Amino acid sequence: MSTTATIILSHQRPAEVAEMLGWWASYADLDSILVVHGGRRADFEDLRHPHKAFVDDPRFVTPEHQRNKQSHGPVLRAAARWLASRCFEHVLYAEYDQVPVAPDLISLYERRLDEEGADLLAMHLRRIDATSYPHFLYHVHDRAFMEFWRRVSVREDKGVVLSMLGAGSFWRRRCFDAVARTEESVPAYTELFVPTLAHHLGFRVRGLPDQSRWNTPQGERGGELQTAAASGAWTVHPVKTLWSGSADRRSALRDRLA
Amino acid sequence: MRALGSTLVDAETGRVIGRALLIPWRGRILVFGVSPSQPVRPIFLPQQRLTYWKQELGFTAHPPPDFPSEHHGDDHPQSSAAG
Repeated sequence: MSTTATIILSHQRPAEVAEMLGWWASYADLDSILVVHGGRRADFEDLRHPHKAFVDDPRFVTPEHQRNKQSHGPVLRAAARWLASRCFEHVLYAEYDQVPVAPDLISLYERRLDEEGADLLAMHLRRIDATSYPHFLYHVHDRAFMEFWRRVSVREDKGVVLSMLGAGSFWRRRCFDAVARTEESVPAYTELFVPTLAHHLGFRVRGLPDQSRWNTPQGERGGELQTAAASGAWTVHPVKTLWSGSADRRSALRDRLA
Repeated sequence: MRALGSTLVDAETGRVIGRALLIPWRGRILVFGVSPSQPVRPIFLPQQRLTYWKQELGFTAHPPPDFPSEHHGDDHPQSSAAG
């Protein structure tokens, strides 16, 4: 049995989620996958996958994610509730538009986590306190933001703020649980809040610089899956059209990647 | 805008950060054109010669995060009381 649980966040229709799971079945045991759905309630009800959770918390469902300081806390807590009765040691977190392309994806993540002695691996991880980074400047305007870190941190330097790409990450279970159960008493965008909280709770957060080039915040990279895989990519992001596009194209791509 | 600006060089590593336009404005410096993917922080630069009339402000970036773990148990005592 796999020691890694995979949490996939989607808002798409049941047919598209089914296609996505069909693809993921080549990379993870379907019984180890939880789909967290943040779309329409009716679509969630129609999902046939046995492991699913619905999230409609207003902190998560935001019209402008960065300006409204979108939180993935409700998603993490839904996942933590599902995990509570299961013995997984690691958690792979992916949004629907992060597409796996390395056949041994989970082994690669597990090995890197051990090599780095890390508790959380993230792409585009950077330290942003006291910098020009727009998300930092926007958050630090609220005095409660830095006060929150001073209150929760076990670190000597309580002023460190980190940022990561929220589309995909890999966790040691105890780190995931600790972050998920921490109450978010300050509004903060998830790409800042998650790595910064893990860091201040004492966990080791490390980047995946070799993977960041294939996982970028914007664009549509569906045409690059083969190139990326041949170049050593584990996943590609964003790929927003794969699950709704041609089944023949998906099938051909899957054969070539295998 | 970047065509009008100057090349920013990391004051600690010498690495080229990019181009930006810097404009003094009411006791502040407005910075235009720095890429979000290359966040910088301002620092006063060391000077070989002591001067009282001029100091230089430069820019640098944090190194990639590489903090050790300070977590020594399965349960974190503050994680449930952080709110």
